[in-house]
Amino acid sequence: MKNIILRVLAKLLLAGLSFFVITFTIYFFNLDMKATSKIEPLLLRHYDRIPRKQYL
Amino acid sequence: MVIKNPREKAGEKQYGVLFDQGKVRRRREWRGVKDTLYDYTRWLYLVSVLGRFVAVPRNVKGMFRYRWMANYLAVMHGMDKFTMGLRDEPLRITHTAMNFVIKDVTKSIKDCFRGDRRIGNDQKFSSRCVLTDENAMTAFMMGFPKVKAILREVPTMFAANIFNQYSTTHYLDVAQEYGLPGDVCPMPEAETGICIDDDLCILGCCAVQVNTTCDGSLMGNGVIAKRLEREYGIPTFQLAAPMRHREDDVQTYAAEDIKKAIAFVEEHTGQKWDWDAYFSCAKRVNDATRRRLAQLEINSSCYPQFFGAVFSLYNDTNYMGNCGRFQDFVKIDAKLAKLAERGYRKKTMVAPEYRHRCVVWGVQPQYCIDMLYWMLQCWGVVPLTDMLSMVNTRMIAEEDTPENRRQAYYDMAWLNENMIMRNRTHGGYKVLVDELWEICRQMNADMVMMWEHMSCKALVGMHGQFEEQARQRGIHLVWVCHDLCDPRVFTRQSIRDQFSNYMRTVMREEPLDPTIEFLPDENAW
Repeated sequence: MKNIILRVLAKLLLAGLSFFVITFTIYFFNLDMKATSKIEPLLLRHYDRIPRKQYL
Repeated sequence: MVIKNPREKAGEKQYGVLFDQGKVRRRREWRGVKDTLYDYTRWLYLVSVLGRFVAVPRNVKGMFRYRWMANYLAVMHGMDKFTMGLRDEPLRITHTAMNFVIKDVTKSIKDCFRGDRRIGNDQKFSSRCVLTDENAMTAFMMGFPKVKAILREVPTMFAANIFNQYSTTHYLDVAQEYGLPGDVCPMPEAETGICIDDDLCILGCCAVQVNTTCDGSLMGNGVIAKRLEREYGIPTFQLAAPMRHREDDVQTYAAEDIKKAIAFVEEHTGQKWDWDAYFSCAKRVNDATRRRLAQLEINSSCYPQFFGAVFSLYNDTNYMGNCGRFQDFVKIDAKLAKLAERGYRKKTMVAPEYRHRCVVWGVQPQYCIDMLYWMLQCWGVVPLTDMLSMVNTRMIAEEDTPENRRQAYYDMAWLNENMIMRNRTHGGYKVLVDELWEICRQMNADMVMMWEHMSCKALVGMHGQFEEQARQRGIHLVWVCHDLCDPRVFTRQSIRDQFSNYMRTVMREEPLDPTIEFLPDENAW
C-alpha cells in the first residue's frame, strides 16, 4: 500500500515537474507569442476573403 | 528631488536585450526568482482565461468572423508591455488590475457573441441588451439590474488596440476609402471603419449613444446609428451632455436628458427602473471614488505604487464601464488598496531612482505603447497620474429617500458629464488648464508630460496658455506629439524621441537605462 502511494506521489511529482518545465520554457522564451504571431497573417488572409456588406 | 532606491533591483536591470525587430519580444523579463515565478503564475492564469474562452464553439466561430479578434492573439504581449521593469507590489497591483480588465473584456466579447445575430443569435438574451456607446458613462443603467449594457466598441476597437498597435489601421483605411477625412481622431474613425466594414456585432433591443468626446466621435456615431436604425432596426437614443458642464444652469437640462434615456430603456426593454438597485450601485460608486482618491494620495507621496497606463485603464473600466454595477470591482479595489498600502509602507520603488514626478495630461495614447513604464525605466520619470484618471471626486446620494431620488438624476447627469476625458476636454480652460496646476500641487509634481494628439482639436487652442502658465510656475512641460491609434503617423520611437530630446537638451540628463532609449519596436504588436 505504502509503495503504491509513493509511486502515485512520484508520478504526480513528475507530472507536475514536467508541466512546470514545459510551461515555464514556453513562458520565459515567449514561445506562446512567437507562435501566435505566426498565426496572425493566416487569420488576416482569412478575414480578407469573407464577403462583407460594406457601405457608408 | 531625486529619490534613490536603497535596495538593489532583483533580476534584469537593462531591458534593451528583450527587443528585436520582431512582432514580439525576444524573451520575457527575468525579475528575480520570486517575481518571475509570480509573473509566470499570472501568465498561467491568463492562459486559463483565454483557454476557457476558446473552449466555447460560439467564441471560435466569432473569432473566424471578426477581424478585430486577431488582435487578441497578443494579450500576453500587452501584459508584458505594462509590466516592464516592475517588481514587488507594483507588479502585483498591475497584474491584479490588468488581469481583471482582461477578464472583463473576455466576458463582454462572450456577451457580444451570444447575442450577435451572426454568431450566437440568442434572441432572448439580445432582447435584454442595450448597446451602449463606448464613450458613455453607464450611470443610466444603474437601476436596471436585469438589463445588460453592451459596450461593443470596447472589445472591438479600444481593448484590441491595447494589445496590438496596428489593430485599427485596416479600419482606418476602410473609412478613408469611403471618403471620410483622415485628420479626425483615429479612434472614432476606426469605429466608423469597423461599422462600414460590417465588422460590428449586431445585438440588443436598443442603443444609447453619447456626444462625447469630440467631433470625430459625433461623426462616427452618425454612421453607426444610421446602420443600427435603418439596417438592423435597433432604435438609438442620443444622450447629449452639456459642454459647459461645471455651470449650474446646465444641470437641470442634463438631469432631464438622463430621465429621457432611462424612459427610452424602459420602453424598449420592458424593464422598470429599480431604485434599490440604483442606490446599491451608488454606494459602490462612492466606494470606488474613495479608493481612487486613496491611491492618488499614495501616489502624491515619495513612493507611488499604482501608476502607469494600467492605473488609467483600471480607472476607466471601473468608473465608466462598471459605474458601481458589479460587486466584483469592490473586491479588486480592496485588494489593490491593500497592496498599495503595503508597498507604501515598505517604500517599494521600481527604478534605481525617481528623478522627476510627472503628471500625464492631454489626449493619451499610452494604452497602445509602453511609454509610461519606459519613462520610468529609461529616465526615472514617475507618471503619478493622468488626465483620464482625474474624474469625479464628489460623493453621490446613496440613501433611498424621496429627496435623493430627485437628486439621483442630477448625480447620474454629473457622472455622465464627468466622463473620462470629456470632463477635461470640454468645459473650458478652468477644467483643462487651471485644474492641472492644482493637480500638480497636490501630487507634488515638477513635470507635466503633455500628450499632443495631432488629430484632436480639443486641446490645440490651449497650447499657448499651457506654455505660459507652466513657465510661470516653474513646471517642466514636455510636449509629446502622437496620433493615438494610428502608428503610421507617429511611430513609437518618434514618440519616445520627443521625450528623450527634452530630457537631454533641456534637463541635461542621461538615461538610467540607455539600452532602451532607442527600441526597434516599430513592427511590434
